[in-house]
Amino acid sequence: MPDPILSIKDLTVDFRTEDGVVHAVNHVTYDVFPGETLGIVGESGSGKSVSQLAVLGLIPQPPGRITSGEAYFNGKNLLTMGKKDLRRIRGGEVAMVFQDPMTSLNPVFKIGDQIAEAIHAHNDVSNKAARSRTIELLKLVGVPTPERRYDQYPHEFSGGMRQRAMIAMAIANEPKLLIADEPTTALDVTIQAQILEVLKKARDETGAATILITHDLGLVAEMADRVVVMYAGKVMELTDVRTLFEAPRHPYTVGLMDSLPRMTVDEEWLRPIPGQPPSLISPPPGCPFHPRCFLSNGRERCREEEPPLRPLGPDGHVSACHFAEELEGQQSKQVETPVEAAGSKG
Amino acid sequence: MITYVLRRLLYSIPVLIAASLLIFFSVSAMGDPLAELKINPLLSKQTVHNIEQRNHLDKPIIVQYGYWVKTAVTDKFGSPLLIPGEHIWNDLRRVLPHTLQLIFLSEIFALIFGIGIGVYSAIRQYSFFDYVATSFSFLGFAMPVFWLALMLQIAFTDIFIKWHVRIFYTSGLSSENPGSGIHFWVDRFQHLALPALTLMVLSIAQYSRFMRASMLEVINSDYVRTARAKGLVERRVTLKHAFRNALIPLVTVSAINFGALIGGAVITETIFQLDGMGPYFIQNLFSRDTYAVMAWLMITATAVILFNLIADILYGYIDPRIRYE
Repeated sequence: MPDPILSIKDLTVDFRTEDGVVHAVNHVTYDVFPGETLGIVGESGSGKSVSQLAVLGLIPQPPGRITSGEAYFNGKNLLTMGKKDLRRIRGGEVAMVFQDPMTSLNPVFKIGDQIAEAIHAHNDVSNKAARSRTIELLKLVGVPTPERRYDQYPHEFSGGMRQRAMIAMAIANEPKLLIADEPTTALDVTIQAQILEVLKKARDETGAATILITHDLGLVAEMADRVVVMYAGKVMELTDVRTLFEAPRHPYTVGLMDSLPRMTVDEEWLRPIPGQPPSLISPPPGCPFHPRCFLSNGRERCREEEPPLRPLGPDGHVSACHFAEELEGQQSKQVETPVEAAGSKG
Repeated sequence: MITYVLRRLLYSIPVLIAASLLIFFSVSAMGDPLAELKINPLLSKQTVHNIEQRNHLDKPIIVQYGYWVKTAVTDKFGSPLLIPGEHIWNDLRRVLPHTLQLIFLSEIFALIFGIGIGVYSAIRQYSFFDYVATSFSFLGFAMPVFWLALMLQIAFTDIFIKWHVRIFYTSGLSSENPGSGIHFWVDRFQHLALPALTLMVLSIAQYSRFMRASMLEVINSDYVRTARAKGLVERRVTLKHAFRNALIPLVTVSAINFGALIGGAVITETIFQLDGMGPYFIQNLFSRDTYAVMAWLMITATAVILFNLIADILYGYIDPRIRYE
């Protein structure tokens, strides 16, 4: 196996609030390899985005605080490096596409200038060169008449077009790692498909490793090579995408899959995971998922002992469940048609 | 942009007409402006009658309004009620520039300091500087204007008496022989510095708080995060991406302030004996010269409308979304 391009080890991020300390990310460890697409899934507040923002130094501190961990990018620890060096990596070798294109672009500056600014920040080029490069990028992400669109403001762009512009900005400096934070969540379903194509194109064009943060299992099935499942700021399961859909080994993953509506069966009710996501200020003792878990069934071990991430096979499949083996053989109900059925939101 | 400005200009016409109606009828509702003259035993009935005739005070009120508008437009507000030989405009033309000089001096410095302090407080939220700035702005809000004005007068008079140095003058607009050209303006500055400082303290307090609040709001927005994610240096993130957006609320506040101050900083101008809009209004109010008061009100209303117009144009310049609406 090649060396990982990004290696996150034991990352913990806290937020101090008036109600107490929110443990947004707890001892998270995973690797991203060159050229692969890593999906990170989990419900809102599971720490998917925060772990990435923290690595790039983009969480406001205070209230945020990185209390432990390391994040090696190309062998350099992003969490201990100087502000100047980290700034050079941001938008250069590591670029990010954000969730809401409506608010992520500055309303008072021209779209083209905002993209060109990203080029200027990392390259010593003339205004003219930056402009023609920007127009090239806009063309690449499928913005029609880019020469004219360059001089328009964000409010003159539709949501889908803005997200294209955001992607153009992200790939402006040919990043080695592209982090897409719920890139399609704020868009219409038809636009989602288009943006997905643009993302794929951008990934193929730059050959960048991609981290895709989403709560949409359909997107994961479509794009990802490997998947991290997060819950309450912790990694619950990590495996390749095929195994995740065919043989999930964590009850939370199984619950997520089962909550998807199936297109092949006539169903009246959805099957959500019972209960609520836990409070991140005072998470439940033991396994954070045990109050909602169908495997736990009041077993003492789930309540008292926090399950570590442990390998389940030779292929790097890991799960944080004491009783992961009990899921063996028990196929997910989704398994017949993983990709088609996963077309809607998780 | 030009259509935007033209449209805003057209909008201000009905506002000005509405203001004139409001001014005329509410001032008229104060009662008969000649009531005191009528009971004055030294004046003959004929004299009072002549004043009444000359100003059409015997006509129905709506007709009076018509005459008033006509005089205002054709004869620049005409004469004061009680001094037929004089011209209201001559007085206004004298006092208005004095007030404008005072306001521009104080507000321009207030904007520079207020914005600077506000931005820095926001960037270094909860720092020592932020706490000091916050304390001083609350002090500035709480301090009565007249008290500060008097304290400054005492301080600079004492300096003059003790060391015989004239840094700033403590009353009036000019020295006896101010000279001309640059000497005149240096002298004028020395006279306006203390009253401007008095007005500035409150304005700085206000502007810095507004700027701090709107900067804090913007600094946590998604597009500022995008600017950081692009790898821009922090100075560019705050001073370009955040600052321009944070300026929008401040434009409103300072425009309102400018407009309101044109009406005269009555207390400050009175204490420093400046021949400005404030004392002019007070004098005419006490002598019940309703025509002078109404002229003054019209000028003030026009100033408020004008500064709102300027604010609108500035909005359009800062925020492209407003330009096209």
